[in-house]
Order: sequence, then structure tokens, then C-alpha cells
Amino acid sequence: MHVPDGFLSPQITLPAWVAAAPLWAWAARRQFGRTPVEALPVMGSLTALAFVVQALAFPVPGGTTAHVSGVMLLALLYHPLTAFACESLVLLLQALLLGAGGVTTLGVNALALGLLGPGAGWLAWQALRRRHERAAAFAAAWVATQASALAVAGVLGLQHALSARYFPVPFPVSLAATMLPSLLLTGPLEGAYTLLTLSLLRKARLHELA
Amino acid sequence: MSWPEPGRSRGLAALWLAAAFAASAMADPAVLGAAWGAALLLLRRGAGRHLRRALLLAAPLSAAAALAAWLWARLAGLPLPEPEALAAMVLRPPLIAFLGLAMLARLDPFRALGAWPAATRLLAVVLGQVHALRLLSEESALGLRSRLPARPRVGQVVGGAGAITGALLGLAVRNARDVGDALRSRGA
Repeated sequence: MHVPDGFLSPQITLPAWVAAAPLWAWAARRQFGRTPVEALPVMGSLTALAFVVQALAFPVPGGTTAHVSGVMLLALLYHPLTAFACESLVLLLQALLLGAGGVTTLGVNALALGLLGPGAGWLAWQALRRRHERAAAFAAAWVATQASALAVAGVLGLQHALSARYFPVPFPVSLAATMLPSLLLTGPLEGAYTLLTLSLLRKARLHELA
Repeated sequence: MSWPEPGRSRGLAALWLAAAFAASAMADPAVLGAAWGAALLLLRRGAGRHLRRALLLAAPLSAAAALAAWLWARLAGLPLPEPEALAAMVLRPPLIAFLGLAMLARLDPFRALGAWPAATRLLAVVLGQVHALRLLSEESALGLRSRLPARPRVGQVVGGAGAITGALLGLAVRNARDVGDALRSRGA
């Protein structure tokens, strides 16, 4: 779902980098510790966990596969800011090692997929957890996926509005391309994965490690 | 005269970032064509391999986006997008992907990050942990498959992924403690 390099002009990508950079520094310091020796091992291990989880492939009808992000799981186990810092590093690694996503769009992707999505999911979790915790976990992951997809569609729509000559794809097309798979496939999959993993962690009492 | 390390890797990383942002600002197919020519000429070592991979990574999505824009305008009865805009849309993402692949093959990320010890350590921890966790993940997936007589269904795969994630989380937290202890014992 992340925006690849070349779809957004520096008019959008540079301000996104400027907005994301202080947030990365703040999130890393707040969530992982003030000294590198406290922060680096936990941040590195959780980033590696998120990177490996995103490589898990799920077969879907049509013979292709889908992937979960696991970012809402990190937000629920730790904190949305932990998820933001780790997801941003995962996006950077994917850009550097796999050529997926991009370096120019890293700020946009980190804000959409790492901050807005988990932030919206976290709010849904807080609103629903007292009524039904399992449903709240599913809803949080589903909401996070939709919020991220909507943010990505919004940014692509903004790029079209700024310059249709640069990005000729109009907003309705971007919206359909991002929201349809997210509503029908990746949202329910992310919800089921988050719900099942949290249940298993609870049974195994592994959440005490978190 | 060769450019000595670590300045070479740092310089290449800075050049690559500047080139990626510059290419992302280009909207004229003629300028993009010239940039493609310059990139292929300057980065000709391994260009065939990087070009093939860049096209596989970026061209299908950018071509699909250009086609969707054209189809939408046609179906909605709107003015068709300018051919130059569609051509730029198809040329730009693969160019940035090519620049990234070609530059990453030429620089050493650890040397490029040498001026920032915390970033170097973080990269070392992440890459080491990715390797360890991926081995466990692959072994678990093979184990799940070997226990099932038929191809696993989506529900079984999601359940298996949950179990693998639990195991990976436990390992990641333990590894984080070990790495922290190792850093402290070395006076970090």
C-alpha cells in the first residue's frame, strides 16, 4: 500500500520528511530510552520483528498472496509511537534492501502507515476495549489499515490536485485502488492476524515480555 | 585516482539522495529521457542487472497507474491526460529505482553511516536480528507445512502466523536483552 518513489513530487515529499524527522527523534527517545545502549537493542529487535512479520505471505483467492503489516500489533503490545518508530525503520529497510516503497516517499509513508493508521487504530481500541476486547483488537487493526489507505489515497489526490501533469491519476482512481483491497482483503486479514496473535500471546502469557 | 573510504560511501549516499529527489521533481519526458541516458552511461557497471530489476519493481505499477488514469478519463468522458504526463509517469519511478539499486551496489552502508555510531549500531542490530528471526520464521513455516497433508487454508496460515509471531516476539525480546548486555560489557 505504500507510495513508491516517483509518484509524489518534492512539493509533498520534502515537507513530509521535515514533519517526520523530529517525530522520529522524539518517538525513539520517548519509547526506547535516553541512551543508545538502552534504546538500540529494543528498537533494533522490534524493527527486525516487524520486518520479518511483513514477509509472511498469506494465500488469497486468485493465486496471489497478501501481507500483513503487524504495525497495529506493535502499537497494542507497546505504544503507537513504538509502532511509528519501528515501522519507519522497516520502510527504510524495505526501500534499501528490497527496492520497495522509496527513500523520497519515506516521510509520507511513515506518517501514513506508521503514525496515522496505528493512531486511529489505537483510538478505536481505547473506545471499544471495555465492551469487547477481542472485537476491539480486530476493529483496531481494521481501522488502522483503512486510515492508512485513506491517508495514502489523500496524498495521491493532493499530488493530482497540485499538478495533474506530474501525477495524472485522479483522486477517485487512487481512492478505489487503495481502499478496495484494504476494505475487502488486507483490513480483515490484518484484523484476524492481530486478534489471533494477541489471543495466542495471552494464552502463552508472552505479553508479559512486552 | 580512486576515492578513499569512508568518504566514497558517504559521498555516494549523498549523491544518490540528491539524485533521487531531483529525479522525483522531473515531469518532462524529454528531461526524464536525458536523465535515463545519463544514469545508464554513468552507472554502466552492472547496468543490465539493475535495469531489469528496476523495471520489474517499478514499471508494472507506474504503467498500471498511467493506464488507469487514461481509462478513467475515457469512461468518465473527461479530457484525456496529456501523453507527456503519461510518459513521465511511466519513466520516472523506474529511473529512481534504477538509481537506488545502482548506487546501493556501489556503497557500503556501514561506511556511509560511519559518522553516526548509534545509527551504525542500530543497522548492525537490525540486520543481525532480521537474519536470526527470519531463520526461525522459515523453519516454523516449513514445520507447519510438513504437519499438514494438504496445502494450508487461509485460516490455518493466519493461525500459524500468529504462533510464529509469538515465538518471534519472545526471541526478539530475549535477543534485545542479550544485545544490551553485550553493548554494556563492551563499554558502549
